[in-house]
This record gives sequence, structure tokens and C-alpha cells, in this order.
Amino acid sequence: MADQFPAIIVLAPLFGALIVGLAGSRDHRICFPVVLVSLAVSLFASLGVFLQVLQSGPVSYFMSGWDTEKSVLGAGIELRIDAINGLVLIVIAVVSILVSIFSIRRAGEETTEKTPQFYVLFLLLTVGIFGMTVTNDAFNLFVLVEVSSLTSYALIAMGKARRGTMAAFNYILMGTVGASFYLLGVGYLYLKTGTLNMGHIHEVLTANGGEIGRSPSVMVAFVMILVGLWIKMAFFPLYGWLPNAYSYAPSTSGCILAPLMTKVSVYVMIRVMLGVFGWEWVFGHLGWNHAVVWLAVIAILAGSVLALAQRELKKMLCYLIVAEVGYMVGGAWLADSEGWGMTGAIYHILADAFMTLCLFIAASILVKRCKARRIEDLGGMFKKMPVTMTGFIIGALAMIGIPPTCGFFSKFYLIRGGIESGHWEFVAALILSSLINAVLFFRIFEIAFFGNKPAEGHGHEEGETSEQGSIGEQALSVREARLSTLIPLLVTAAIVILLGVFNGPVIAVIRSAIEPLIAVGG
Amino acid sequence: MKWFALIAVVITGSLLIYGVSDFPDWGDAQSPANAGAKSSTGEPIGESVSQFYITETGRLTHVPNLVTAVLADYRGYDTMFETVVIFAAGMAIFAILRVLREDKHTLGPPAKDTTADGDHGRIIVGTTCKILIPVIQLFSLYVVAHGHYSPGGGFQGGVMLGASFILLAVAKDLGSALTWFTEKRFMTLACVGILIYAGFGLMAQFLQRHFLDYGVLHVILPKTDEVMARSHSMLGVEIGVAFTVTAIMFAIYANLSSRGELKRGL
Repeated sequence: MADQFPAIIVLAPLFGALIVGLAGSRDHRICFPVVLVSLAVSLFASLGVFLQVLQSGPVSYFMSGWDTEKSVLGAGIELRIDAINGLVLIVIAVVSILVSIFSIRRAGEETTEKTPQFYVLFLLLTVGIFGMTVTNDAFNLFVLVEVSSLTSYALIAMGKARRGTMAAFNYILMGTVGASFYLLGVGYLYLKTGTLNMGHIHEVLTANGGEIGRSPSVMVAFVMILVGLWIKMAFFPLYGWLPNAYSYAPSTSGCILAPLMTKVSVYVMIRVMLGVFGWEWVFGHLGWNHAVVWLAVIAILAGSVLALAQRELKKMLCYLIVAEVGYMVGGAWLADSEGWGMTGAIYHILADAFMTLCLFIAASILVKRCKARRIEDLGGMFKKMPVTMTGFIIGALAMIGIPPTCGFFSKFYLIRGGIESGHWEFVAALILSSLINAVLFFRIFEIAFFGNKPAEGHGHEEGETSEQGSIGEQALSVREARLSTLIPLLVTAAIVILLGVFNGPVIAVIRSAIEPLIAVGG
Repeated sequence: MKWFALIAVVITGSLLIYGVSDFPDWGDAQSPANAGAKSSTGEPIGESVSQFYITETGRLTHVPNLVTAVLADYRGYDTMFETVVIFAAGMAIFAILRVLREDKHTLGPPAKDTTADGDHGRIIVGTTCKILIPVIQLFSLYVVAHGHYSPGGGFQGGVMLGASFILLAVAKDLGSALTWFTEKRFMTLACVGILIYAGFGLMAQFLQRHFLDYGVLHVILPKTDEVMARSHSMLGVEIGVAFTVTAIMFAIYANLSSRGELKRGL
């Protein structure tokens, strides 16, 4: 049983999706339990496999049993879990469980009779994200990118808002371009190395003094893969699809996509950098770290400034995601000799997933309950919805980087990496972006604490066209949100703080996983 | 904006051409993809995957068509998710387009055709289709079943089978195609297809092997050994793929052509 864990992580939501697809349309009530059970099985398996990794190092699982005894490496598809993606898997499982709880009532309201289809797509999305994280095969990664992208397009377009459909269409165009760039890169790599297994590609590229790695084709392959992933993660010049797609999506779709899609793409980039091409190749042979870090600096500043210019709450959060992606990409490319930037980037993947989830759940509640699409509409929210606002504040403090929350520690390690590698521009951008975040969120706090709620019904001219349009008048008398939405919010807020307080062990695990990768490169 | 696009295209194009400069020769038998990566002195780096496929497939899986063996066995996990992609596409179409509010009369009798060319056109088209459709369906089943030995398999056969229903919908009307191939049926069929595929994998797991390790299924399948069990299971998963592809092909056509109302098509 225990040796089947890597496969179970991916398969549990897949079978869950099939059960919902078969039986869900007869009775919508079975959807939610099936979703919850299958995600819980995934969480259990991820925890189990993570413990195995901690005890005895990386775990490999060969699909169809084509392991190295029966065949050559790369003949079949390998799943491989080390400490880093073990952590990412747990984060994915926890986030998707929390969002599924959040979606109990929402899904029914926002997608009316299509609840089973919503949950099928939701589960298939988690299948894709789990699979992207767990696989050790460059082409299999592409297939799972397809699964997750296709389902996310549909999840965004499902709402009643027309702008959501339009945003999803933009996302399809950009996402398809990104995926094809990635595929092209993998094709080039296959031409030069004759294998698709990531570990095997790394072996071939570094063998004999890395002579194959010096080929221009391999360089082009890396650029293609990198650009493809940058589109997927909405890195600065390629972020155009993200703000509209995430802010006009139905709120449950936004809550699952915003914390996971970009973060997992960042993880995949780090895996490609360290696991396929290797530290030495990326930073020694290619040596573009300065250019990429500068790009990340621009991403951070542009994301923060654009966030400052937004008047809609969710749009603002979306631009903050763009800035956060800049943090992670910049951190991963700092290339300080101790790998602190990389550590910070990986820790930030975990931290940012929960921070974003916290803010998105809170924002979704606020947007729906009181039609507060705009920041000004939040006046007096503290009195009316104290619990929701507490969750929002914790998420916001983490985003700014106030000590007990995880946001502080990820910034701490990123800045340490910046200082050690001498990238002062990155350090300056991080601090400046934190200040901008502080300005942003304290403005909101001020309005929510001291501001007066505008006349009841304000914001309806917005509401008519939005997905909340038909939900109607019940939101006029604002009360605290439902328990089913508050529980995930508070749990997320607690995780944001706990992950910060207990950052030591997490960092130790990450360090233990990346130190050998750096040492190999020298 | 146009200039920006032009610059992007020029940069991408020149990058691609630059990458080609170091490619192996066209059809080179010693290229890495064919013979595995070699160092400049000719030492192989690791074992070659393609050599393994070419020399060992017959012995290990007893499937003459290498492509099928790679697709359904060695990389069966990929193929399962390709099928899931198609399934997700069908679900996405349903989720976005399907209009559920007024579907009381969906499966009722098709509306009377009142177009000018009315019945005259229909007789010729209808008769042709009556003759053609069974032939197409028979051939598509052959393509599915014969994937082991010749080009073909679940995807191709499934597309053809789906096309035969689409032909019926185009030639007569969507309603009459839907009276047999109802929405409930094709949505169920799509799920069942993947369930068959993943079920083969799951059975191997229950028998203490890895997911999709068909060899162990000789315990269940009568009169087989490890090798033949692989061969037979490949046929099984191809049938699963064909189910899903057929159903989703038709689902996409039906939803697109009737704007999600599933009443009258084109």
C-alpha cells in the first residue's frame, strides 16, 4: 500500500471526478462528499509519501512497472518525489480541500444546475496540478499542463459574467502559446538527448564535462521551456491574461486557481532549472541571472504599482500575484553560492499559496456579501463582518510581511539571498514592494475600520453585470458570512501564522533538499 | 502593437533557426533520438530508449506495432491523461455552452423541416447515409481493434465512430441522432471510457503491482501469460479510449451546433 502512494495522490481525484461525472447529475448532493473524500485521500497519500522522503530520501514510482530493472531508464514514466515537491503536494492538497469546503454552497449558486460538471472540472484541475508536481517526465508534464489548463479555462468561463468568458478566451490564447513553447523546448531537448526522463536528461547534459549541454539547441530548448512556463505563471511582460481571468472568474474558481496555478508553474520552473539542466548549467554556463533578476525587479515594481492603481478589490489582489511571481522568479535566479535565494523562492511558493488563498477567500466573501467590488465600498466592514475581516487582515499582514506570519520569513530569506549574491536592486525592490503593499492594505483597513458604509445598495450598477447580479437583494443587509466559508478562511489564516512560526523545520527540509543540487554544480 | 508583434516573431524565428544549427542530420541513424546520446568519443551516455523499444518490445509485449506499445504500455500513463484531456474538453463544452433551463423538450420529436429543398434533398442524402453509416461504424471498430497490428487505435477509431453519429446528425437532424445517442448516454459513455482505462491500471494496483502494469493481469485474464496479458490489456484500454473519444466528439458537435440547447442542429 505505502509504495503506491505516489500514484494514489494523482489517481484519487481522477476517480473522484469519474464518480461525480457518472452519478453526480442524478443527485447533486453526492458531489461534495466524493470531492472531499478523494482530496482527503490525496492529502493522506502526500503526507505518507513525504514522511517516506524524510526517512529515506527521494521516492521513485515507475508507471506501468517499467523500472530500471525491467527496462532502461526513461522507457516508462517515472514519478519522483523529493522533499521539495513533497511539500508542494501537501500544500496543493490542503488548499484544494479548503477551497472545496468553501465551495459547498457557492458552487450551487454560481453555476446553478451545472454543479456536477463544476466539481468534475475542479477535481480534474487538481489532478493536473498534482501530476505536474509529481512527475519526473518532461513530456508527461506537458500532458498534465494541458489537463490543468483546459480545466482552468472552463472553470473561469463557467460563471454568468460575460467578462469572465472573454477573459477565459484571452487566457486560452496565451495559455496555448505558452504550452506550445514548452512542448517545442521539450522536442529540442529530446532531439539532443534522446530521452524524456528528467533525471536522464540531466545525466546526458552533464556527462563528459557537459559537452552536449554546450549545444546551441539545448540553449534554445531552455529558452523555449522558460518562456512557456513564464507565460503560465504570468511573469512580468507575459502577465496580461491573469488579472481579468482571476478576478472575473466565479469566486470558487478564482480561489482554487489563484493560489495554485502560478505557484505550481514556479515550482515546475525551479524543477526544470535544478533537476533537468542543473545549477551549474543554468548559472554557470548560461549565466543570465542578472538579466532575469532585473526582469523580476521590474515585475515586482510593475505589479505593485499596478495594484496601487486598481480600485477593484480582486483586481488589486491579482496584480499583487504578478508582483509575487516576480519575488519567486527573482529569488530562484539570485544564484548566491549558498542557495538562500532559491530557499526563499521555494518557501515563498508554500507561503504565497496560503496568503493568496486567505485573501481570495476573504475578498470573495466581501464581494458577494456586500457587493463591495470596489475598495471604497468596504466602509465599516469591521463592525458588520468582524470574522471575515480578521481573516483578511491576517492575509494582508502576511502579504506586507509582518513578523509572525509566513510572509515575513519568505521575504527574510529572499532578502538574505539578495544580499549574499549582491543583487541590491532585488533587495530594494522587495522592500519597496512591501511598503507599497503596506500602503495598499492600510488604506483598506482604514476604510474598513473608520469609513462609513455607503448608502445601501450602492454598487448595483456594477452588480448587474457581474456574476453576483442575480443573487439579488439578500446581500443588502450585511451579516457575517456562513460557517462553511468562514471555516476555510480561518483555517487558512491559522496556517499563514503557523507556517511563519514554524518556519525553521520547513526551511531545514528545503535546505536539505537543495544543498546536494548546489553541491553537484560546485 | 503590430511592431511589437513583428519583433517578437522575428526574435522567436531567429532563435529557432539558431537552435537548428546544431541538430543531428535528417534521418541520421546515429542521432540521439534514434541511438541514444553519445559523447564526442562515441561512448553511449546511459542506455538508449528507442533501441530498447525496437529490440525488446516484441519479446516483452508481443505487440507487432511498436507505436501502440509505446502509446498504450510504456507511456500508457500519458495516454490516459490525453484521454482525460478530451474528457475535460467535453465537460468544458457542457459547462460553458449547455443551456439547461428549457431542456424539457430536448429529446422530443425533431421539428418538421420546412426549408425549401425539403424532402427532395433529404431522400438522396438520407439514403446515402443509411448505406454509409454502418460501413463507417464497422470500419471504425476494425481500426480500434486492429491498433496492435496496423496504424490505428482508440483515438482514430473513436473519432470515426463519433463522426458517423455526427454524419447522421448533419444528414437528418440533431434530434434524430439524439433519440438514440441521448445526452445521458454519451456523458455516461465518456466517463465509462476513462473508467475502463484507469480500471485496468487500478486492477494492477490491487494485484500488488504498479499502476497500469498490465503484465500482472494474467491472473485475471484466462489463458494468458505476462506477455499476452500486456497485449490484451492494450486492446482493453484502446476500447476505453474509443468510448470516450466517440462520446466527446458527438457531445462537442451536439452542443456547438445547437448552441447548447440540444434541439435542432445545423
